Amino acid sequence: MRLASATVYALEIPLVEPFRHSARARSLCDSVVVRVRDEEGTEGFGEGVPRPYVTGETPDSVLEHLGRLWSCIAGRDLPELDGIDTLRAIESWLPTVPLPGALADHASRSALETAVLDCLLQRHEVSLGRLLPPVRQRVAYSGVITAGSLETALEHARRMKLVGLAQVKVKVGFEDDVARVHAVRETLGPSVSLRLDANGAWTMERAVEVTEATAGCDIASVEQPLPRGPVEELARLRRAVRVPLMADESLVTLEDADALIDAKAVDCFNVRVSKCGGLSRSLRIAARAAAAGIGLQVGSQVGETAILSAAGRHLAAHLPEVAFVEGSYGTLLLTEDVSAEGIHFGHRGEAPVLTGPGLGIRVLEDRLRKYAREVLELGPGGAS
Amino acid sequence: MVERSQVEELLSRHLSELTEFAGFEALVSGQGSREDYEGFLVNLVRTHLRSPQVLAFLYSLAPPEAAANLAHNMLEELGIEEESGIAHPSLLRELAKGAGLGDRLAELEVAAQESLRQIISEPILYGTLKEVGLATLVEVVAFEFMLSRVASRIARALARHLRLSSSTLEWFTHHSEVDIRHAGQGIDNVLSYVRYYGFSDEDALTICGMALRENVFIKRYFGEKALARTGGAGA
Repeated sequence: MRLASATVYALEIPLVEPFRHSARARSLCDSVVVRVRDEEGTEGFGEGVPRPYVTGETPDSVLEHLGRLWSCIAGRDLPELDGIDTLRAIESWLPTVPLPGALADHASRSALETAVLDCLLQRHEVSLGRLLPPVRQRVAYSGVITAGSLETALEHARRMKLVGLAQVKVKVGFEDDVARVHAVRETLGPSVSLRLDANGAWTMERAVEVTEATAGCDIASVEQPLPRGPVEELARLRRAVRVPLMADESLVTLEDADALIDAKAVDCFNVRVSKCGGLSRSLRIAARAAAAGIGLQVGSQVGETAILSAAGRHLAAHLPEVAFVEGSYGTLLLTEDVSAEGIHFGHRGEAPVLTGPGLGIRVLEDRLRKYAREVLELGPGGAS
Repeated sequence: MVERSQVEELLSRHLSELTEFAGFEALVSGQGSREDYEGFLVNLVRTHLRSPQVLAFLYSLAPPEAAANLAHNMLEELGIEEESGIAHPSLLRELAKGAGLGDRLAELEVAAQESLRQIISEPILYGTLKEVGLATLVEVVAFEFMLSRVASRIARALARHLRLSSSTLEWFTHHSEVDIRHAGQGIDNVLSYVRYYGFSDEDALTICGMALRENVFIKRYFGEKALARTGGAGA
């Protein structure tokens, strides 16, 4: 069965509350969603979240790039359903086309790869869990405390404690980091696992200063303390501090993963489906991390819709060793999500494995159109 | 102990966001298009069409001190308390018909039922029913509080600009300024609930804040996209 057409939706869904960290503040979801259709009209959906400060992609560059990628796969027969090799087959279809000014075209690849995969699975009425068998039946998500006023951060901490989240991450990279971390820890109490995320906002000196000053706060890890740059810098910081370090912006490609492993630069990888270029590449990075004894966080994109959350849920349920999971905020963050079912986690941050066909959600196309600032139709030969 | 003024302040802030919202100002000042008015009425009818079910849920959780009042509200919604004797959902249906939206009623009934189904199917953030009940009660009281302060203004605007009759607008009469006492009792019910179920002040206020973390009035009456025009966050 051949891939016949694709539709690309550049979304703008308002967030319930603005989300801030040291690199950006956002009040809208700006995901790009792809719907592919085969000749018989079976549909599949995928999502990418362009982040200029992570992969260098923007929503507009992804829209343009998806046209190029689509022209490489339009009219191809869907692959056979053949376990995990199916994922590799789809990934191998997508050529590595340089995207000017970008580190990688990963949001585009994530959107298209996931859409084709979902289409194939929907066609066979098979869950993604068949390809990625879950090793756990429930996934427990962390909360993330956005930057902003200390008062707001503590309000969020109280909410997370009330709903029973066992793991919380707080955004840092500001003048009041030390006071903020102490106050959040005090609000959460000692039983909640707390980690920090600087989004690359610290210098080496500041990283040492803050981690030492918060040594009594039982910090589980510090994510991306330094800006993306030479991995030796992260390795040097790792030797200088006692708290485990996690790579996020420094971990985009497989080459990044190898370099970080070789340099013994971090203790943990934050693998995010969109950032890492889709499920196939995310799995390969996760495999390299496991082989190197590096911990894993299955992360998410702020403002992602149910489509990417569903892909992340499958990944998090499948990987044997996952220290932390983020995402599945759904309508806790978006004023409206794009699936018929609520994807967001419940009490204690827990959510069940998705078992329905494909990604396990029913995407509402009219919802996509409602929030699309631009819709691009791609026919058999590309843009139409 | 949670103070009445703390709940009132939260509700007042929410109400101010609504009355300062451009879409609301256009509605009451007659600046909206016919499409705007109809969109508002469609959303309003859909929002409140299943209110008796929500009130029945709250009645089932009511502390003794608030039970009589919540029972009265529920029976009033069902039209089997004194007053007009007409169930409020029937008044909403009359409103839709009078506004020329009768052909959309079947669709609105389905949408209202679907909203209820979705709420019940969604994962629950809280650990116990008492917390779910408080969040629901706060949202219901917020609507009572808001309607008791602006229902007449909305009704006057609808009468003037859509030429709707007073009988068509009867639903608003039942929720209008004469209902301020009723809305005040709603806040008493929240305080009773918090006391009866032994919430800490911090947890009670956190749940109230979470229930109203986005402006539910703007979201429900003007649609989710309208929240973007208010700058995103509510409370």
